[in-house]
Order: sequence, then structure tokens, then C-alpha cells
Amino acid sequence: MGLTAALNIAQSAVASASAQASVLSQNIANVSTSGYALQTPNVETTFNGSSTVASVTNAANSALQSNLLSAQADSSAAAALSSGLSTIQNSLGLSSTTATSTTASTATDQSPSTMLSNLTDALQTYASAPDTTANGTAVVTAAKAMVQSLNTGATAVQTVREQADSQMSSSVSTINSLLAQFQTVNSQIVSGTASGANISAAQDTASSILSELSNQIGITTSTTSNGGTTISTDSGVTLFDGTARTVAFTPTSTYSASTTGNQVTVDGIPITGSTSTMAVQSGALAGLSQLRDSAAPKYQNQLDQIASSLITTFADTPSSSSLPSLAGLFTNGGSETLPTSVTGLASSISVNASVDPSQGGNVDLLRDGNSSGGNATYGTTAYTSNTSGGAGYSGLLDSYTTALSTSQTFDSSSGGIANGTLANYASSSVSSLESDYKTASNAATYQSSVVTTATTALSNATGVNLDDQMSKMLVIEQAYQASAQLLTTVNSMYSSLITAVQSGA
Amino acid sequence: MVYISTQSFQSVTRQPMLQTESALATAQQEVASGVYADLGLQLGSQTSNAISLAQQSDQITSLTASNVSTTTRLSATNSALTAIMSDAQSLADNLIGAESSPTVLQTLSTQAQSSLSDLVGQLNTSSGGQYIFGGTNTQTTPITTSASIQSAATSALTTDMATSQSSGTDLGTVLSGASSSLSTLFQGSGWSSLSSASSTTLTSQISPTQTTTSSVSANQTAFQQIAQAYSLLSAAANQTLSTTQTQDIVSQASSLLDSGISSLTEIQAGVGVTQDAVTAANSSMAAQQTILTKNVGSLEDVDATTLSTTVTNLQTQLQDSYSLTSQLKSLSLVNYLTAG
Repeated sequence: MGLTAALNIAQSAVASASAQASVLSQNIANVSTSGYALQTPNVETTFNGSSTVASVTNAANSALQSNLLSAQADSSAAAALSSGLSTIQNSLGLSSTTATSTTASTATDQSPSTMLSNLTDALQTYASAPDTTANGTAVVTAAKAMVQSLNTGATAVQTVREQADSQMSSSVSTINSLLAQFQTVNSQIVSGTASGANISAAQDTASSILSELSNQIGITTSTTSNGGTTISTDSGVTLFDGTARTVAFTPTSTYSASTTGNQVTVDGIPITGSTSTMAVQSGALAGLSQLRDSAAPKYQNQLDQIASSLITTFADTPSSSSLPSLAGLFTNGGSETLPTSVTGLASSISVNASVDPSQGGNVDLLRDGNSSGGNATYGTTAYTSNTSGGAGYSGLLDSYTTALSTSQTFDSSSGGIANGTLANYASSSVSSLESDYKTASNAATYQSSVVTTATTALSNATGVNLDDQMSKMLVIEQAYQASAQLLTTVNSMYSSLITAVQSGA
Repeated sequence: MVYISTQSFQSVTRQPMLQTESALATAQQEVASGVYADLGLQLGSQTSNAISLAQQSDQITSLTASNVSTTTRLSATNSALTAIMSDAQSLADNLIGAESSPTVLQTLSTQAQSSLSDLVGQLNTSSGGQYIFGGTNTQTTPITTSASIQSAATSALTTDMATSQSSGTDLGTVLSGASSSLSTLFQGSGWSSLSSASSTTLTSQISPTQTTTSSVSANQTAFQQIAQAYSLLSAAANQTLSTTQTQDIVSQASSLLDSGISSLTEIQAGVGVTQDAVTAANSSMAAQQTILTKNVGSLEDVDATTLSTTVTNLQTQLQDSYSLTSQLKSLSLVNYLTAG
């Protein structure tokens, strides 16, 4: 032991303090970086008593990390579904429902249910005074509003599906790009682990990629023996195992009620859609797929059921049973014949031009029958109900009102009631939609708070505390000062020695 | 050791602040409108109940409005019936004892003539753009002019008198027979030439569950009989009659009037019953309306007291968050470390 040894130790202490300060400054610089893992310098004493920063440890908590990943995936799925359903239910115009309900409770929303009720009221008024043309015009106006409501609803549904499809497409390309990035980072980690290099930065990057990935698709991760990570979907399909797998999707740009969107596949295995056996459960992709393939089509089907029932209820019935019924007040896109398929009727339903005065039609046909205005094949009077021609005839109008209050059968898989009047069905459709919306919205709110909690927990486990770092900095600063003082002292001791030697000579 | 990252320490107040502000915005909207800001979100599957109740309320409003025209038609019908009844009754009273003094026939004939034109006028009453006695044929004047009825009746009576003469049957027997020219004129196809009214009457829905007949057709037997009696008497003035024939005519007219008046009373009673039904429907619907409004309100309306408490709480919470944030700002070791 000698002054040289002391000098060496003091030097190493200065170097170690600098190294610790560098790690600390890195921590402080990233105090606001979300997902940054706190780095702790591991200081060791070497054989000769000097100190050195042997390694840097990344704070990690894999349990909290995977909690956050799954919370984010669930939250993204719920948010995607809730936002889509919110757009669809906006078409009901419910949120703007009158503020005056305390004084006069009138339904001012645009739902098919309310439009149907208005149409029924208009019909009833027309039936009470069938000789007043204005009443007939009011029925046609109400029928147009009814059609408008169904068309708007169907458009909203298909627009939401188109948006979901294009979001799925961009989600898939994000996933592919993230997986490619992950491949680079993962190989850095694997080679760094083997060579003992500092892999903190690569690990931070890897967790931030995983975090972004979990927003798009539900994932689970596992660590391999070489320090690398494999990623698979929450349904068990491998996304990354040393190399990135290809996630493929062909977008569809235009949707109608009969359009079925394409499936997302990983290496050819479908991971979305009802036919997929390994469908992803969470992540934006799962939420969007549920919205596009089941939630939105469910409401479309309900609208189609209503449209179909309207066309049938108001159909012109012939005097002879050998003739077919023809379209009355409502038509399938202007067609004289009744529709054979329900799918897409909500988009194509329209008011018969022959009873619409604004299209050159005659309102009286609504009262008298024969809305198709004299069919060339079946004769001009085969569909006339008011044979005597009296202007006060309300028989046909009354039969519509009766039909509207008669129980019908609807598609029981549509989410609405299976048996009931059209008005009952229309109102059950509103309930079904709003119930889905409420559930999705509550789930989104809940999942978002779970993400907040998980983020806080992870941040507390692996994040940086500025005060903690600052107080550590004080210790390092003092150690540095002491070491520097030591260097000065040893230096002056050497100086004294050299001076003594020189003066002695 | 309890460890907290600076990031979560700083965001402790951030998250609640955002939530509070958004809750406050919603609460203010609800204060302004008095109903929930997002009905669908609030009511979920209950939404259709709220809508249905409002729709029922709309239907009642619409029915109440259309009942006004029904009521108007019924009261116009009722006053027309009263006028017809009073004319018929007055003539019937005057006919009593007239069999014994044939000279009165001339006076009675004049009265019958004016009663006939009054009857035609009443049956052609129009109310709100409708001929109320036209049945479903509301846009065509139901009864032809009294002059044409009279001329048709005069020739019919002439035929009947000729029949009586040639067959040697009493005029009374001929006139009271269903196949007399005069009788056939006021029935079936004969009446169709005088009336363009439809025998189908108007029906009206007066409440969500009730539909009722709401007009009287000019083709009712009562009107036919009364018109026949009037026509018979006024046509008789143009004929040269024996005392027996006069007696036969007066007695036939009297019997027609009696039977007509009695049918008319039944019709008028029916109209009265319908009027009562409409009034009853209106008041029951008004009661329903009140209940419906209350029910819609209980689903859609926010409780003002609760809301005002909520707003106050939210404001306090927000102020606390603000003051906490500003205090946290100075809580950092950095502020207490002096350089050098």
C-alpha cells in the first residue's frame, strides 16, 4: 500500500461517481418519459479497493407490465366498439330529445320508432277525415320522414363499417411495422445478453413497442432462454418468434348490408370474424372486427326488418286472390313488386312516387287503393279498394291502422322482439341499440380507468422519482468532492516528498 | 420502502381534474335542459320505454285534435236532426183531426212543401268542407232539390190514383202498399235517383282503443219516410180529391210521419251516445296524458336538487384539484437545492 494505490483508488472513485452521475442524469432526463424504466448503477469494489460501476440494472416488473398490456388491449377494443356504436346511435337523434318534456312530452327524436308513431298518428287523422287532401299529404310527409330515418340509420351503419374496415387496415399495417421494429430490437437484446453489453436502451424500446402493439391487438409475451421475447396473440397465434410473422388483411372500401368484410390473418390463420377458431379477444383489431362484423350488422338487420314490415303492411292487395300484392305506400327502391329478400331494405325503401304529390303522384290513391296507379298487366281496377269512389271512404286507411296494431313475426336473431306489433319491434330495436351502446360505453370507461391504474402501478414500480434521484445526486456529488479532495491531498503529499528530496540533494 | 414515480405523483391531480371538468360540463347541460344529457347512455334498454310513452302521448294529442272535427260533425248532425224533428213533429200535430176537415189540406200542403225544402236543406248541411249526411260520399250534395222531389212525387201520386181508380181499390190501401209508385220512389233504386249519399257512414277513431260510427247517412229510413210524407201532402194539393181520398192521404202521411219521427228519435239518441263517448274519451285521454307526461318525466328528467348538489360538489372538487396542483408544483427537492 502506498500513495500510488491511494491515488488509483481516488481516481477510480472519481470515475465511478461520474459514471453514476451519468446514469442519474439519464434517469432525470427521462422523468417524464412514459414507459421509461429506472436505471440503477451497480457499484462494485474491485480487488484493490477501488470502486467501479460494474453494470446498470433496468427496473422491471413483468407482472405489472403484462397487466398493463392486457388492460390496454381491452381498453382499445372497448373504445373502438363504443365509439362506433355511439356514431350509430347518434343517427337516432336521441341526445337532442326535447328539453321541454317537463311541460309537453313529445318525442322529437329521429328514431324509426318515433317516425312510425308519427306515421300512425297521421294515418289516423287521415282516416278520420279522408276527404281532406291535406291529411293525405301529411301521411306522405310522415312516410317520407320514416323512410329518411331508416335510410339515415342504414347509412350510419354502413359508414361505421367502412370506417372500421379502414381502421383495421391501418391497424394491421401498424402491427406489421411494430413487429419489424421489434425484430431489430430483439436481436440487439439477444446479442447484448450474450456479450454482456448494456441493453437497457433496447429493453426500453422493446417494452414501448409491446405497449403500442397491445393497443392494436391483444398479446401475450414470454421470454426465451437467450433473453429474447416471443409474442403471440391473446388467442394463441404466434406473431413473433425470432422473426416477425406476416399479418395480412385486404380492405373493402364500400359497404352495403350484404357486404361481408375480409378476415385478418396471421400466416394464413384467420384471427377475426365469427368463423375464426383463434379470434383475437382484445385490442383495437378485435373491437373493430366486432363492430364491423356483428354489432353494426345487427342494427342494420333490425332496420331491414322494420323496412320489410312497412312495405308488406302497406302493400296493395288485389280484389282477386290469384293476383300478387303490389307495393303500396312504400316501395323497394321504386319497384312495383314486393321485395323477396329483407337484406338491405332499410337503404332501398322509398315512398311510392304514385302517391307522392311532389313527384307528380296522387294522394287519393292512398285512400282508395291501387297505389301503383293502374297496373298494365292486372287491369286498372284490380287493386282499387274504394269501389264506390266516395271521398269519405276510410276502409283501406283503417285496415292499415289495424295491420299496424296487429302482431307480426320478426327475425328472432335480430336482437329485437320475435313477436309483436311493428311499433313494439321498432321500440325494442331502439332499446337493443341503446343497451349495446350503454354496455360498450361503460366497458370503455371502466377499461380506460383500469389502464390508468395499471399505468400508475407500473410507473411506481419502474418509473423515476426526481427527488430520489436528486438526493442520490447529492451523495454522489459529496463522494466526488471527497475523492477530488483526496487527489489534491495525495498530490500535495507527493509535492512535499519531491520538495524534500530536491532540498536534500 | 414506498416508492412513487414522479410521473404518477404529478398526474395524481391531472386525471381527476379532467374527469371533474367533463362531469361538470355534463351537469351544466343537464341543468339547462332539465333532462339527461345522453338519454341513451343513461337509460340503456329503458330508452324505448321513454320513447314509447312520448309516442303514446303524441298519439293522444293527435286523437284529441281529430276528435274536435268529430265533435263538430256530431253537433252539426244533432242540430240538423233537431230541426228536422221539430218540423216533422209540428206537421204531425197539425195532421191530428185534419181527416175530418178536408179544407185544411191546402194549408197543410203549404206547410209540407216548406218542410220538405227545409228537410233537403238540413240533409245537405255541410260542416268543415264535408256534407255531413253524405255517408262516405262527403264531397257530393246528398239530396237533389226539393222541386225535383216534388215533381217526381206529383207524377207518382197521379199514377197511384189512376191505379186506385182502375182497380177499384181504396186510395189508402194503394198508398200504404209497398209497391205503390210513391213508396218505390222513396225506397231502394227510386231513392237513389233522389240521393247521391252513401249508405256507408263515417267511422272515427276517438281514442287509442275506440272506433265509432260518427255520421248519419241521408239514406236512413227515417228521412225517406218523412220526405215521403211531406211529398205526399204537397202533391195532394195539385189533385182533385174526394173526402175519402183526402182522409186516406192525411192518414197515410200521418202514419209515415209517426214512424219517421220514432226512427229519428232513435238516430238522435245514437248521435247523443256517440257525442258522450267522444267527450268521455277526451277526458280519459286528458287524464292519460297527465300520467304519461309524468312517466316520461320520471325517466328522462334529472332531479334538480340532486343536480345542484352535484354541481356544487364538482366545483369544490375542481377547486381543490387546482389548489393541490399549484401546491404540488413547489414540492420538489430541486427547489431547495442551491447551486454550488
